[in-house]
Amino acid sequence: MQSEGIDSSKLEEIEKTATSKINTAPDNESLEEVRIGFLGRKGILTLALRSIGKLPPAQRPAIGNQINAIKQRINTLIEFRKNEIADGGGDEEPYPGDPSLPGRSCWEGGPHVLHKVLREIKAIFYGMGYSLAEGPEVELDYYNFEALNFPPEHPSRDTQDTFYVNRDILLRTQTSPVQVRYMEKHKPPLRIISPGRVYRNETPDPSHAAEFLQMEGLYVDKNVSLADLRNDVTYFVHALFGSNARVRFRPHFFPFTEPSAEVDMTCFACKGEGCPICQKTGWIEIMGAGMVHPNVFKYAGYAPDSVTGFAFGMGIDRIAMLKYGIDDIRRLLNNDIRFLSQFWNGPVSEVQD
Amino acid sequence: MKVSLNWLKRYVDIEESAAVLAHDLTMFGLNVESVETKGPDFSGVVWGKVLTCNRHPAADRLSVCTVDAGRDKPLHIVCGAPNVRAGLSVAVAEIGAVLAGGFKIKKAKLRGEVSEGMICSETELGIGDDASGIIELDFTLTPGESLDGRLGHSDILLDIEITPNRPDLLCHFGIAREIAALYNRELRFPELLKLERGEDFSIRIENGNDCPRYSAAFIDQVEIKPSPEWMQELLLAVGLKPISNIVDITNFVLMETGQPLHAFDRDRLSQDSILVRRARPDEKIVTLDGTERQLNDNVLLITDGERPQGVAGVMGGQESEINPGTKRILLESATFGPRAIRRSRQCLKMDTEASYRFEREADIGVTVEALERACWLIKETGAGQPSLHYADNLMDNSALETRRIELRVAQANRIMGTQLAADDLVELLDRLGLESREAGETVVTAVPTFRRDLKEEIDLIEETSRVYGYENIGREEERKNSLFASISVADRRNEDICFYLASRGYTEVITSSFMDPQDITRFEWSRRDPRGNPVKLENPLTISQSVMRTSLLPGMLKVIGRHPVPDREGMRIFEMAKVFLRIDDSQGLPEEQLHLCGIFTGKTAPLNWAQKQRSFDFFDMKGEMEALFRKLNNYSDIEFVRQKEREPDHICSILINNEKFAECGMIPSRIAGRYEIDLPVFYYIIFMDLFPVQGFSPTRFSYISPYPGVKRDLCVISSDRITFSDIRTVIKKSSKHLEFIRLFDYYRGDHLGEGKRSYTFRLGFRSPENTLDDKVVDGIIDRILDNLQKKLQVSLRTE
Repeated sequence: MQSEGIDSSKLEEIEKTATSKINTAPDNESLEEVRIGFLGRKGILTLALRSIGKLPPAQRPAIGNQINAIKQRINTLIEFRKNEIADGGGDEEPYPGDPSLPGRSCWEGGPHVLHKVLREIKAIFYGMGYSLAEGPEVELDYYNFEALNFPPEHPSRDTQDTFYVNRDILLRTQTSPVQVRYMEKHKPPLRIISPGRVYRNETPDPSHAAEFLQMEGLYVDKNVSLADLRNDVTYFVHALFGSNARVRFRPHFFPFTEPSAEVDMTCFACKGEGCPICQKTGWIEIMGAGMVHPNVFKYAGYAPDSVTGFAFGMGIDRIAMLKYGIDDIRRLLNNDIRFLSQFWNGPVSEVQD
Repeated sequence: MKVSLNWLKRYVDIEESAAVLAHDLTMFGLNVESVETKGPDFSGVVWGKVLTCNRHPAADRLSVCTVDAGRDKPLHIVCGAPNVRAGLSVAVAEIGAVLAGGFKIKKAKLRGEVSEGMICSETELGIGDDASGIIELDFTLTPGESLDGRLGHSDILLDIEITPNRPDLLCHFGIAREIAALYNRELRFPELLKLERGEDFSIRIENGNDCPRYSAAFIDQVEIKPSPEWMQELLLAVGLKPISNIVDITNFVLMETGQPLHAFDRDRLSQDSILVRRARPDEKIVTLDGTERQLNDNVLLITDGERPQGVAGVMGGQESEINPGTKRILLESATFGPRAIRRSRQCLKMDTEASYRFEREADIGVTVEALERACWLIKETGAGQPSLHYADNLMDNSALETRRIELRVAQANRIMGTQLAADDLVELLDRLGLESREAGETVVTAVPTFRRDLKEEIDLIEETSRVYGYENIGREEERKNSLFASISVADRRNEDICFYLASRGYTEVITSSFMDPQDITRFEWSRRDPRGNPVKLENPLTISQSVMRTSLLPGMLKVIGRHPVPDREGMRIFEMAKVFLRIDDSQGLPEEQLHLCGIFTGKTAPLNWAQKQRSFDFFDMKGEMEALFRKLNNYSDIEFVRQKEREPDHICSILINNEKFAECGMIPSRIAGRYEIDLPVFYYIIFMDLFPVQGFSPTRFSYISPYPGVKRDLCVISSDRITFSDIRTVIKKSSKHLEFIRLFDYYRGDHLGEGKRSYTFRLGFRSPENTLDDKVVDGIIDRILDNLQKKLQVSLRTE
């Protein structure tokens, strides 16, 4: 290209050519060629700058400034392109001109809603000073029933339909056996949660499943009281469902706790006004709880008078259903991706206040 | 159990509305599951007071009233009744109420006057025939309070959940006793006909565990006819069909006291005596339901000494059933052992009101009182003439003794977190009918036979907590103990992995722990393979859920198979869960292993204008695993080894220090086909328990070189007996400045020659001490090529 008669529009032309060549340079070598071609000792812009003297004096400063600005811009572009080449990309134009085109995408996934809820629940209890304990799912009858103060052949066993492997071995119907296993191995004080899968031999329907997740809590120390239980459970419900949720304890019966209670919280749907979801009571049952029965301490090898303790247990499936308004427990194990994907996004904690 | 409110009111005053009672009982430990109104439905009909009453400006017979029905302002109601006047207490049907015959109350205009409801007559409410005017109520409620259960022959049924430890609550009197305790009210006992012991009648009992007590009363001059209307009404309310006076009285006493009674036609007994014994294997009986039943020695029988006359505690026999011609009756009131009844019931697969109560341990102290109650009812209703003597065989006299339990005041307060005094506790227990007295630092309680569930101190503490009210127990003190959590590192690692995979675009699934035995066949696992020998359930829900899974794969393939083919465009799913292998421990429990299974099928990415779509392949899966192993902090020493040479599909074991930590590959298409999948499916299974929680080597800081790195590309040719892994090892050992090896081209085309492969690498070098100059790097490259040639006969590609 001749530098004769250089002017502003010609310079713009040069910059356009340079930009395009830089952006399409496939590697560092060709980029270097482009650089030399424009900025090298005999490069177009170098020559252009030298030819400024041929212009009328009045035009010289403006054209000079323009050439220097272009040189600077080209240098920046070259650096930018170098990085792109180093990243191995940049075969396409970096900006094809329509920002409304969809971005490149990959398959999306996410945690199962039950694990999302469980993780949140665990975090709350960790914060309260609970540690994690685990136990087997295929369990001895002894730990699932006998050591929890269910006498043999007692009707209270009928309230939990059981899958048996043989006379002594069953699929645990609750996470409570972990209580005894843990106490056998640890001296008080102790404070644990124990989430896990449990099994009930029940024909599945919208509110019953043969397999579901449960979580047990246990706190044993010298002077643990019913008041402590209320305190912890209330804190938990507030942390998970928001501080507007109210909690009440209703006397109930469980063989392994005494006094025993069922814990209700105000219905999330009607805020306690009464609606079909809570059967017009305004309350929804969320867990069973109570003071550890002295017999359970005996089975665990503790002197019953030396300690007191509380225990509670809740269905994670049920909590997840309450939290997200899921209508049928069976959906949780059905693994339909269209169902599961509803819970991938959004914040982990969705406290409703 | 369903109880009738009218029935309860025979024993205790109940002023509370059903809703309030239901709430209070629930909070007292008697969970009321539902409240059901029997008889006319008055929902939307409330108590109201007529405030003003004026003649309708356009109609002589109509009045325009204002009525206080508990709303913000009085309702404006047009009424046609002649007896309406100011000051009257009336039944107001509000807008939306549905009256007898389905008549729905709407907002209306009558001759130009708005009417916001209706003042009701008896006919309109369906409780009587008087249509001449509105009902004038003779009781006062709060305006707006529902009239449900307060008008007409209606009753309210409470469905109460009775926990298995409280057999004493399986009757109206028992529940009334709780209500009396709840509200601290007087309890009215049913009337009895006092009987004396001493009827000369033989009652023999084979085994005192099966039958601790058998009492009987005797009635002559029986006249079988319908029972009185009030009794029929109560029985119907709780779902029992009236049959005849005698049968109805036994049922009534059952529902009243909880004690099952049975009436035998005394003239139909082959011998005039009773023998309670186990059945013999050859015996049969036709029970009241008309079914002939084959017996065995698990079944406890009532016999007349010779022939079976009833299945003890379950159901009577047809032979001695009460019939229209019955003249003399033997009335049985016995206590049977819970285990004996449970066995009989399970054996014969019969569930009756009686067996339900005996299994929960009926009150041994009440048998005679139940007879006295029945005899009083029989006499009062003219059903027969009771003998004034009863017969009784009590096997162990001590069974009637009152149990004494000491309750330490301090312990009660410690458990409850309260500061109650001894006399407070005495009062709480007394309210439940548990006679108690103060004795220094303790309270001594005499537990009657009807509360056999109260065995020790803690049981009394539960009772005091309950009567005191859980909702009244508060918390003033600081937490006394300090105990801190230790977080399970393994659990957190596993949780992290799950959320990491979720972020990489995997869908987490939770599949069933059960497996179909057919899955073993589908996967061709042999009996010697631990996966082919699962833990079996004795009583599965279905055959296809009858064993515990030994692998996550079948469940995962079913997840894919369950999705319609068009929805399988790109599936990446994973589950981390337990499998159960029959490597039994000392207690006979199977080994529970934590596995992580990932499954991939379809395309690697969604269809997009800016990227090419391609199918998921083996190396996509391997890349996923490599990323995961880096996360588990043990990438460097992992080997992928073909599991079976003969297997056409790529199934690899992943070895770390020669131990198998995982496996991966493509599911053989014939197996995938059995799960209705016809696209290639790739999977990996990682044995999570084998990975040390902290990783194989601890993470440590290492020095970062401030000098620039150098990159060189290298293309070599090798024989197909050499693997990439061999080449990489040689290169790595050749230079301490090597920073990375990236294989970016792999080729095994024909023109290279038979059995030849070419690899193109980009190698990165960097020194911690200086900038590497070209000469040094050239030297390194020469050394690498030299080593490759010498050790592997791998040479530089020259063309």
